[in-house]
Amino acid sequence: MKEIKVALVGQPNVGKSHLINSISGATLHVGNFSGVTVEKKEVEFEREGIKLRLIDLPGTYSLHPYTPEERVTKEFLLKEEYDLILNVVDSNQLEKNLAFTWQIADIGKPMVVAFNMYDEYSKQGGEIDTDKFFKLTNIRAENVSAKEKFGLERLFSKVIKTYEEKNTPRVYYSEIVEEEIENLKEKIKECKFSKRFVAIRLIEDDEDIYKIIHEKPWYSELLDVLKAAKERLRVEYDEEDTKTIMFEERFALSKGVVTQIAKKARKETLTEKIDKILIHPILGLPIFLFIMWAIFQATFSLGSIPMDWIDASFGAFGEWVGGLLPDGFIKDAIVNGVIPAIGAVVMFLPNILILYLGINLMEQTGYMARAAYVMDGVLKRFGLQGRSFIPLVSGFGCSVPAYMAARTLKNPKDRLITMLIIGFMSCGARLPVYVLFVSAFFAPEIQGNVLFAIYIGGALTGLIVAKILRAVLFKGEPEPFVMELPKYRFPKIKAILFDLWIKTKMYLKKAGTFIAAASLIIWFLSSYPAHEKELQNIPGSEKQAYILEHSYLADIGKAINPIFEPLGFTWKETVSIIAGLAAKEVVVSTMAVLYHTPDSDETSKELVETIRKNISFPTAVAIILIIMFYSPCLAAMGTFWAEVPQWKWRLFYTIYPNVLAYLMALIGYNIALLFS
Amino acid sequence: MRLNELKIGESGIIKKIYAKEPLKSKLLSMGITRGEKIKVLKHTLAKNTFDIEVGNSNIALREEEAKQIEVEKM
Ligand SMILES: Nc1nc2c(ncn2[C@@H]2O[C@H](COP(=O)(O)OP(=O)(O)OP(=O)(O)O)[C@@H](O)[C@H]2O)c(=O)[nH]1
Ligand SMILES: [Mg+2]
Repeated sequence: MKEIKVALVGQPNVGKSHLINSISGATLHVGNFSGVTVEKKEVEFEREGIKLRLIDLPGTYSLHPYTPEERVTKEFLLKEEYDLILNVVDSNQLEKNLAFTWQIADIGKPMVVAFNMYDEYSKQGGEIDTDKFFKLTNIRAENVSAKEKFGLERLFSKVIKTYEEKNTPRVYYSEIVEEEIENLKEKIKECKFSKRFVAIRLIEDDEDIYKIIHEKPWYSELLDVLKAAKERLRVEYDEEDTKTIMFEERFALSKGVVTQIAKKARKETLTEKIDKILIHPILGLPIFLFIMWAIFQATFSLGSIPMDWIDASFGAFGEWVGGLLPDGFIKDAIVNGVIPAIGAVVMFLPNILILYLGINLMEQTGYMARAAYVMDGVLKRFGLQGRSFIPLVSGFGCSVPAYMAARTLKNPKDRLITMLIIGFMSCGARLPVYVLFVSAFFAPEIQGNVLFAIYIGGALTGLIVAKILRAVLFKGEPEPFVMELPKYRFPKIKAILFDLWIKTKMYLKKAGTFIAAASLIIWFLSSYPAHEKELQNIPGSEKQAYILEHSYLADIGKAINPIFEPLGFTWKETVSIIAGLAAKEVVVSTMAVLYHTPDSDETSKELVETIRKNISFPTAVAIILIIMFYSPCLAAMGTFWAEVPQWKWRLFYTIYPNVLAYLMALIGYNIALLFS
Repeated sequence: MRLNELKIGESGIIKKIYAKEPLKSKLLSMGITRGEKIKVLKHTLAKNTFDIEVGNSNIALREEEAKQIEVEKM
């Protein structure tokens, strides 16, 4: 089948990822702030018997990249093979977006423009004449809405047509610039880019292009012409910097084109009204804290409603399966190992969904960028900046995307500091452990607040660590903070429910595969060796306890336990905490296996009761503190290692959270001892 | 005068950008270019962070960055 490789390029937050999702049914991450996509992703679909391979790229403000994720896009455009550029434009911000369009038009590849967000633009009375645009620039374009799903089929017909006709843009700058481009083109010989592109990039001091043509034999002959060209532009434009001249040139061109193709829209006023309150100089910060508090409160109280129900279902399911299977190894493994473990983990799905919903709404509405604005002053005091806030908040969901999101930080020091403290933003997988222990040890009225305190405590510790890192290891000023505040948008209910459904599926899949396998191993190690001979002299009711206490797992746990004894841990807690290094849910599933007493009609909810009976309050405090601070799961650690090439930082990252966690737990344990 | 000297609600015309590369390119590509109208919508209590409007976009930036933008008050 014929294949077209289409690169989606555009400024941040214009709807590139959303457009791909809408046309192909993919589930790329979408959010209403700049810097959602930070790595290249590929999605395929078919139209008119042709396979279209869409490459979603991070948004970039220009071809002079500022942050590492913007660099990804430029590298792709310069170094990789593709057939066509699909430039996505936010119709509400035509001038600014088109200034970037002209930059990529210079490349000389076939190109199509999507005027996205046309739903919003036309609602405000705006109109864009795409035929006129085609006449002016030779770029086919279509007015589309990724959200309302219109214009997309026509857009891709134009993509196919443009590809077949090999139709390339014709965008020209003012006469003086064009003359100098022509002069330069004469000196440019073989090169994988078009001569025009090279000439323009040289005028605007593009280091990447310099590097590439530096070794060409014709390079030295070109230098004089280039120098003369820049000199002439400086004089004519009364501006020292030729890069600035090109920016202004393109901006002027945009303005000219916009007056010809677009009917202006009325100004949207809702955003300003909402911002009057949400980022009010005095109220802004309290409002932010209140929103976070409300999210955690809801996570706890709403999340516990379906708990009993899930719990009962798993209990009944276990009995039912137990009735079907013949007695023996397999039945034991499933009824006493896998089912209670999965049940214990799935029980917390509602909590996780609510937390995820809260974070997702912050991302989708545009509040995330506001929160970054509000928090910038606070973060600055800790040696960070507002931009760091977004990876940190994503860290409450999952550390893996949070590490990736740190790519939006330009300065490597800021980036490393942020990445080193992301682990202290407790991720969703730690939530089950907190909910379990908070339900077991705190009065119902304050449980939501305790949960909030755990998260805030983690975040504050993270900030203090950041401050220390900045003072000791990363001296220097934080990078400038410049960030667009998008207009407020309200996602469709259907889209939100769909996101939750995807999240549910992923969580259940993890419970059914990874967690199930882990609990099977734990069950096996805790049920063997069988000790047939010794058991003969032990009364039936104590047999189980005997096996457990003399199992392989008990041996392992007891060997390590001296380290954790100062925290009041028995080998069971020790094993659970260590198993949690694989994934935090495993802490809960391991406890479910180790504290499960078979042949009782015990269900997962009673895990709360069992925990309360078997673990002392100070030890519970120590466990919570360890979970808050020690290393995240293997997947997260792998991501950090992949993103940070320096060995010393990898080692530091792998060790220091565990030391910190241990010290915190030790302090917490002893304080709790005083009070109880 | 510089952008950070404008009060809330005041506007100016951008005259020059003193920021160094690569910040300069970033500001330019966000539409903060010579001749454009720029308005201070808000700033935080301590005047650390500004919320400004240029073209059709709202941009948050710090005092340090605002200082590097020369404007003429309207
Ligand atoms: N009203 C409206 N909103 C849209 C449309 N397309 C996208 N959005 C919203 O705009 C925001 C940005 O969408 P994304 O797809 O994440 O943007 P992106 O271009 O991939 O952004 P980056 O990955 O940060 O470069 C999201 O809140 C989308 O829901 C549209 O056609 N109409
Ligand atoms: Mg994206």
